[in-house]
Amino acid sequence: MNVYLLQVINGIGVGMLYFLLAVGLSIIFGLLRFVNFAHGAFYLLGAYFCFQAIAWGLNFWLALLIVPFVVGALAWLIEKVLLRYVYAQAHEFHILVTVGLALVIQELVIVIWGPLGDNVATPAILQGVVMWGDFIYPKYRLFVIGFTSVFACLLWWLLEGTRLGSAVRAGSESTEMVSLLGINVFRVFSLVFALGAATAALAGVLAAPIRGVEPFMGIEALGIAFVIVVVGGMGSFSGALVGGLLIGIVQSIMSTLWPEGARLMIYVAMAAVLLLRPHGLLGRG
Amino acid sequence: MNRRNLLKLASLSAIPGALWTARAALAQAANETIMFGCPVPMSGAFAANGKYADLGMKLAIEQYGKVIDRPLAYTLLDTEGKPATAVRKMQETAQQKNARFFAGGILSSESLAMGKEAEKFGGVFITTAGADEITGKDCNKATFRWSVPTFGAIEQTVRPLIDTLPKAKRWYTITPQYVFGDGLLSAAKNIFKEKGIEHVGNSYHSLAEKEFSGYLTNAMAARPDVLLILNFGSQSSDTLRQAVSFGMKNNVTILVAWASGLEQFEALGADLCEGVYFGAQYWHGIDSPLNRELVKTCQDKFKTNPNYSFAGSYICTKIMIDAIAAAKSAEPAKVIAAMEGMKYEGLTGPEVIRAEDHQVLKNYYLLKGRAKAQMKDKDDYAEIVSSGQSFLPVDQTGCKL
Repeated sequence: MNVYLLQVINGIGVGMLYFLLAVGLSIIFGLLRFVNFAHGAFYLLGAYFCFQAIAWGLNFWLALLIVPFVVGALAWLIEKVLLRYVYAQAHEFHILVTVGLALVIQELVIVIWGPLGDNVATPAILQGVVMWGDFIYPKYRLFVIGFTSVFACLLWWLLEGTRLGSAVRAGSESTEMVSLLGINVFRVFSLVFALGAATAALAGVLAAPIRGVEPFMGIEALGIAFVIVVVGGMGSFSGALVGGLLIGIVQSIMSTLWPEGARLMIYVAMAAVLLLRPHGLLGRG
Repeated sequence: MNRRNLLKLASLSAIPGALWTARAALAQAANETIMFGCPVPMSGAFAANGKYADLGMKLAIEQYGKVIDRPLAYTLLDTEGKPATAVRKMQETAQQKNARFFAGGILSSESLAMGKEAEKFGGVFITTAGADEITGKDCNKATFRWSVPTFGAIEQTVRPLIDTLPKAKRWYTITPQYVFGDGLLSAAKNIFKEKGIEHVGNSYHSLAEKEFSGYLTNAMAARPDVLLILNFGSQSSDTLRQAVSFGMKNNVTILVAWASGLEQFEALGADLCEGVYFGAQYWHGIDSPLNRELVKTCQDKFKTNPNYSFAGSYICTKIMIDAIAAAKSAEPAKVIAAMEGMKYEGLTGPEVIRAEDHQVLKNYYLLKGRAKAQMKDKDDYAEIVSSGQSFLPVDQTGCKL
């Protein structure tokens, strides 16, 4: 099989993980107009909670189910006691508080688990590769593509087909109007923030067997998530999906075309999108 | 106590460390203390290496306590792995704390910059970084290097592996694009040419890369017999982890030319490392008098075995202290003169500092990951397959002191 076709398939795998990483950041910004620099820290927590769950003898599947809820609950609590008091402030305050929160979480991870990285074993059933002619791809990465696709559909349905989704979308247009209609908008804020953090944690759990865990993985993830959100358009679910896939495929294809510049091309792609469509591919003007 | 708890304690030890520094500062006022600097990354991707290096220098300083009747102290500098930060902090420490003896630098780029700076302010700098240039064309009077440079690392890993696997004729390389990676790649290409090995491809990557699946897709498409991983630290762990997930261990021999040692085996786990070859500067199982002593000290004190970052920092500090004792002076010029040609019993056996380029001549090791069932203890991740010394003759290093 042509190496570029292999890279496109690989890029879709990378991109779906990027989508999951970025979508929470995007919907939080869409509703709350809140720039969450602690998003990478929730990804970090997801990965480490998965590592710890497996170390305690739980299996990966249970971690995949439980960890996003645990991190979501933690984020909900943080939103209640800390973040909602800065919503009304300027973006500089949002950045200050969430960067501080991210640093605290990162340092806590180092205190609890130490500064060294660790390995998270791939679930036994997904170890090995799928071979189809020249095409060789890890079973686990195929699972990530499938799982993330299903999750994306569910998330889309939640945002587009439910009352909660209607409130979120309406709230992103006018929080005052939603409040006047009798909806507790602060509860919606809390739920959306928890949902965003839970999706980041889910990305962390899914990434752990691929990347391992190490205390600085949140910073790298945050950088990628911002690129995808900017490319796709702030606050757009479909923008996060398109942005994630685009960046994943660009990075993967450039690994063959210009390997030393593959990482750089992520940012070049972002700059190009910003020049052509300043609000992102699917962002609102 | 396991290694993680040791590092947690190390974090707490920042308090007594600060007191130690404060005490040192007071003594400095009396112009008695000989101040050392430990410039290593304490944040960022190489922070774990830096934290072990800190412990290594601390142990050496504590073991000696004083030399030529003057107390020893050290200060820790977080280089963040960035040359500019490393140089700035080194300048500050030299000016404000009158430190003249520095052992550190994990990355070649920061070590090259610090070596030049040490020469400017009249200090002594010894490093474990790998780029040939450090004791090659960019060598200087102030800079020494304990670790085997990239040339020797490749000679002692690629060459014996070619001999072990005569049918493995197709090699693919994955290389970080900076001075260290280029040094390893260039040395590997020379051996490929000499031995008739087909270099079926190379993927360069940036120093910030974490996603290696694209490069591994390239590698698999080239159908190599051997995958030679030329990056370092967490990047080589990520590359290896992802290569194993792509099933490469089943039909490709994997060699990580420059492993960071025990901490890397711990991070990856025995299952991933089984059957993989690793090049190493140091291994706690080396049978030499000083290493046996260090292993015993570490086990007694920390209930763990020393790793490369720890051992490298320990021996670099020890070399400088021994040289101060031999010179009977803490004047950098006299210490440098004592270090040139110094022969000593090192961690890898008898070691000597080559006077002409300030390179320590020591062994480099080829390890092979053991199966979990064959491990005799929790740190027995690998067996030593071979070891030896390979250094360019001085006239070929490009070094002119």
